Amino acid sequence: MSENKEKVKAEEVNVEQKKEKKPSVVDKVKSVFSKKAKKETQEGETEVLSEEMQEINSLVSGSTLPTSEKVRRFFKSQSGWLFVLPALVLMCIFTFYPIINAFIGALKQNYQGLTGRFDGWGFENFVRVLKGDTGTGGANFLQCLVNTLVFTLISVPLSTLLALLISVALTRIKPLQKAYQTVLFLPYLTNALAMGAVFATFFTIIGTKNNTETVGLINIVLGWFNIDAIDWMGIGSPTWEIGALSIPWAKYIVVIVYEVWSGLPFKILILFSSLQSVNKQYYDAAKIDGASRSTILWKITTPLISPMISYLVITGIMGGMKQYSAVVGLFGEQMGIDYDMGTMVGYIYQYLNNGRTGYAFAGSLMLFAIIMVITLINNYVSKKRVKF
Amino acid sequence: MKISIQHLTKVFPSREKKGKPVIAVNDLSIEIPSGKLVGLLGPSGCGKSTTLFMLSGLEAPTKGRILFDDQDVTTLAPERRGIGLVFQNYALYPHMTVAQNIMFPLTNMRIPKEEAKAKALDAARLVQIEDLMARKPSELSGGQQQRVAIARALVKMPNVLLLDEPLSNLDARLRLQTREEIKRIQRETGITTVFVTHDQEEAMSICDIMVVMKRGVVQQVGEPQSIYDNPSNLFVANFLGTPPINIFDGRIENGYVYIGDEIVMSTVAEDQLIKVGVRPEGFIYDPEGSLSLNVDHIEVMGRDKSIVSRHEASNKPTVRSIVDSDIVLPEQMGVLKFNLKPNKVFLFNAETEERI
Repeated sequence: MSENKEKVKAEEVNVEQKKEKKPSVVDKVKSVFSKKAKKETQEGETEVLSEEMQEINSLVSGSTLPTSEKVRRFFKSQSGWLFVLPALVLMCIFTFYPIINAFIGALKQNYQGLTGRFDGWGFENFVRVLKGDTGTGGANFLQCLVNTLVFTLISVPLSTLLALLISVALTRIKPLQKAYQTVLFLPYLTNALAMGAVFATFFTIIGTKNNTETVGLINIVLGWFNIDAIDWMGIGSPTWEIGALSIPWAKYIVVIVYEVWSGLPFKILILFSSLQSVNKQYYDAAKIDGASRSTILWKITTPLISPMISYLVITGIMGGMKQYSAVVGLFGEQMGIDYDMGTMVGYIYQYLNNGRTGYAFAGSLMLFAIIMVITLINNYVSKKRVKF
Repeated sequence: MKISIQHLTKVFPSREKKGKPVIAVNDLSIEIPSGKLVGLLGPSGCGKSTTLFMLSGLEAPTKGRILFDDQDVTTLAPERRGIGLVFQNYALYPHMTVAQNIMFPLTNMRIPKEEAKAKALDAARLVQIEDLMARKPSELSGGQQQRVAIARALVKMPNVLLLDEPLSNLDARLRLQTREEIKRIQRETGITTVFVTHDQEEAMSICDIMVVMKRGVVQQVGEPQSIYDNPSNLFVANFLGTPPINIFDGRIENGYVYIGDEIVMSTVAEDQLIKVGVRPEGFIYDPEGSLSLNVDHIEVMGRDKSIVSRHEASNKPTVRSIVDSDIVLPEQMGVLKFNLKPNKVFLFNAETEERI
């Protein structure tokens, strides 16, 4: 054994000697730089380049090549564009052109979609949209914006948190795991109208069954705690009036519950699978380190799957800001009473429908800007927090 | 802390419905004295890691008991055993800095932050990573990550330190360096340390006590040198030593050991079929010698020569013998004759493979 050890040591010494003999390329470059630096300090001249330095420079920039060769190389290096050309063409037609057109359209005053006539250029569309002074009644921009923000900023974090807790619970349950997974995924596959019907039985106050008035499941449960029935979705729904805004909080709750519920399956699917991919050794290590279950969840598990969580939050907020169908499904095409439950997309859609395209353009650009800002903030935060 | 393992058995149920259950560890009993560095050595699948995980409490034994000093910890939860465990691939939390990683066990023990910081720094100093406290594990080299893992295991002052293949992810040179390091840390702290390895050289070089295992059964326990000099069976003899031991088919007849038709030594054992194990350093070149080897080629390694030869009775394709480089061998290769050093020759029963 000791012989072996000595052998290894001898080899080590050999290697070290070899290293010392041959100065590597890196050393050469270093020595060149240090020479240059010395010259700068000694003579105060910055432009003195040794021959070696020039050689290195020419290698880096290729300055010794003839011009024709340079041109040829430039075009050759641009050949990558060919590969993305098909996608680029499609994007130009279906993405970039509409965006640019929306900008142009938003700046045309009193634009008539059919005749193509307009009264001049300016920001009047934006001003009128923001003031709510569109002269047609119906959806109010500020109301729609507040609605959308409230729906999104409550339902997305809530459903993500719930999805996280449910998927962590799912990974802990071994028997019937597949069955629970299926049940939890069902809302994802279910028709929106069917879900609407389910929600009606939950929340609707109006209806009769066996000649008795029904109040909806939720109200029945509230009744057990001696809480008066609430008109969740109807005309008499309780509302706070704040200035020009009305906050129909009961309807808000319905929408948020719906969004949380319908958003859960996809989030659970994603989080459950990313939980499966976490190396079990981290949990073993945490156990050895004496971490409690909640410590493991919040200090180990959550940070480890935080890239997925941040993905879900970002896409969730993007989707939430574009919410339309759920509100229409629950409250009809007028989005509640005269758009009191309107969303941004609902607003845009209304003005597209009644021919006031300019307002729709302006609204969609502002929605675009808002989503952009939120996404940038999201990105910034997640880059800071989600990094390892 | 003294560790006493009594009749420890671990059976894993088979994955298939009608398959046989797998016995990973079979009736294992070892006494580990306090403050020693103990190596569990064996080929992969011999149950050494399973044993370690049962010591840590991450795996529950099927049968048997584990005592730390006189306390029965068999059913105690891992965090209550007072152990530190270094995982094979370190399992450093990637989202925490080095400092946070090392402090993690302390924050779980609700130790005040300032005190925890001071302790973490002490542990970091011990493994010489105090300059890296602000980095994330992904910004560390393999060797540095390993030190962090050791610091994290040591920071709570465990009674027992467990290391699962601590050197397997390091390159050859770093491995040499780190194993000295582990030895040094163990000496400085005096913590009873158990580590798992499949590398016999690694185990022999740093262990106080070595436990050789095969298929869940302990083959031999003892100091590395004494196991090397006195292997209890063919497996242990074969597993220890580089280059590995040479094995010949042989027999004992009338008090003489035969390899092929040649008498190589005398013995007092009864007549039987045997396996003869000869360490590479157990050959003495002698033109009048008793064992003839058909030399294939010679590898010169500076300090000594390695003679690679063939023999009909050898269990391996070639016989490797190491002689001093200043021994003059004849120009003509062909057949060379050797005598054997009696203390480098081990006789095993051909059937039981136990030492005679």
